[in-house]
Amino acid sequence: MNNESKYNIGRIYFAIFGLIVLAFGAAELLLGVTGRSFEWGLLEMSGEFLLWQGIILFSAGAFYLSSFKNFSDIHQQAKVVMASAMIWIVAGMQIFGMILESIPGGEDGGWFNTAEGFLETYAGPYIPELFLLPFSLVVIYYIRLNRQK
Amino acid sequence: MKLSVDERWDIIDKISKETVKFGEYRHTLKDALAEITVKPLTGIPIAIAVLYGFWSFFGAFAGFFTDGFLVKLFDGHWLPWLQDVFPGGLGNWFYSIMVDAGHMESGVLVAADNCFESFGVLTSGLFVAIGVVLPAIIAFYLFLIILEDSGYLPRLAVLIDTVFHKIGLHGFAVVPMILSLGCNVPAVTATRNLETKKQRFMMMTLLAIFIPCGAQLGIMLDVIPEYVGFVMLYLFLGFFVFGFILNELIPGKSPEMILDVPPYHMPTGRNVGRKLWARLRGFFTVAIPFVLLGVVFVNVLYLVGVIDWLANVFEPVLVGWFGVPKETTAPLVAAFMRKDLAVGQLMGIQEQLGMVAFNTYQLVTSVVLVSLYFPCIATVAMIIKEGMQDRGKGVITFLLGSLAVLMAVVFIWGGLLHLIWIILGVA
Repeated sequence: MNNESKYNIGRIYFAIFGLIVLAFGAAELLLGVTGRSFEWGLLEMSGEFLLWQGIILFSAGAFYLSSFKNFSDIHQQAKVVMASAMIWIVAGMQIFGMILESIPGGEDGGWFNTAEGFLETYAGPYIPELFLLPFSLVVIYYIRLNRQK
Repeated sequence: MKLSVDERWDIIDKISKETVKFGEYRHTLKDALAEITVKPLTGIPIAIAVLYGFWSFFGAFAGFFTDGFLVKLFDGHWLPWLQDVFPGGLGNWFYSIMVDAGHMESGVLVAADNCFESFGVLTSGLFVAIGVVLPAIIAFYLFLIILEDSGYLPRLAVLIDTVFHKIGLHGFAVVPMILSLGCNVPAVTATRNLETKKQRFMMMTLLAIFIPCGAQLGIMLDVIPEYVGFVMLYLFLGFFVFGFILNELIPGKSPEMILDVPPYHMPTGRNVGRKLWARLRGFFTVAIPFVLLGVVFVNVLYLVGVIDWLANVFEPVLVGWFGVPKETTAPLVAAFMRKDLAVGQLMGIQEQLGMVAFNTYQLVTSVVLVSLYFPCIATVAMIIKEGMQDRGKGVITFLLGSLAVLMAVVFIWGGLLHLIWIILGVA
């Protein structure tokens, strides 16, 4: 497959992904402004930073969509990279917080958490950024492709 | 030998032919990333994401050590052990200063069951300094150093240059401003990167009043976690409102900024470690002694009755104008030594008095007052030093000017918060 085809696939992939990111961002923004929360299965949108998460996710979605035209251009690629990095920041901090939360034993427990309590910390529900994280990693392929170019 | 202009140009041509490679420069992904972080449309959302990361990291890291282990260590082991072994016992003056001042419950003096309430040098003093502030300071500086070394900080300076110009400063002002969120003392020194006396006076005054240090932020996160965002927003708003007013009132120039922005690069562990240690060393040698001294100072004032006297004198202003209980006097005195200690004391007083006497809104106003009120003594010393370097004998005018701004800000911005609570019907 030549580079042009690869970039065409990337353009379509990130356009669809951008729409999904934008939709989640808009939902988080709306819930953040109205002070409400939403939970559906393993998906959760709540917490004190919801508004900020919404702003970040909405902007990331807008970055993905704005890179649709001239997708192979380096400036457009930079937007896709930055949009993915924004998702990584929110999701990464969520994972970091989970890891740190899972170690201590809590107010009434011992110094360290029990095996059960440790695993419970990682049980859902999760914020949308965690679901979007693996799909945003596709950008690494395009960073490598750019380097080869 | 003297060369003519043509001969000089010939030599320049010869050297450049040997040393400079000519060709078409292609923008790399790194260049494009650097560009989009300084353009407002893309740069502002990126800055929000970075600051979100900063804040989340700060909260998770500090919470892990403080709430996860250090509260348990200090409240569950250190305090009871000291209460058992320290000579004197409850009611003894030396014991009160060093371990536990106790508090009255139904006319009986009872021992504290946590380090926020005990007010002793070895209990509250050490708990605030090591249990609460140290993890917060480590988290803050670690993230700040990564931002500095990666090359993002100068880009943030370029990005917010326009905003700062509205108040007579420029993008470089972001350096003392962010440093100030760690500690006001190095931030005052960092105002040297501003060109004019007007800019330096404005920045020193504004950051000493409006920017809470990392130690204070850490303890605020522990005491009023759900209101820290509001307090920060109110303080930053004050920074720009009073910055705008000062810019209009103070004569002097505010020149444009020319900044060479370095390329992005990966921070090295060695550099990050060295810088972190250099900054933490300052905390151990300057801040911790001040916290411990502050506890001794306030406890002695309590014991000789000065705090009660001051509380009665300032009661009309504190209760009438700011809407906070007169018991806020002691933390305000402590704030002169260390602001983190003062916020910790507020928490202890609230726990002792209960929510009826000291509600959440009064606690938020008190935290804002502690921030606005006189900068800590280490910052004042640094302002005097920098003021003398800047103005020589004019340092008195400089300090009086700062003091006048401070008084005006405390009364206007502190009183305005009380007014907001009245309008909202919660005060």
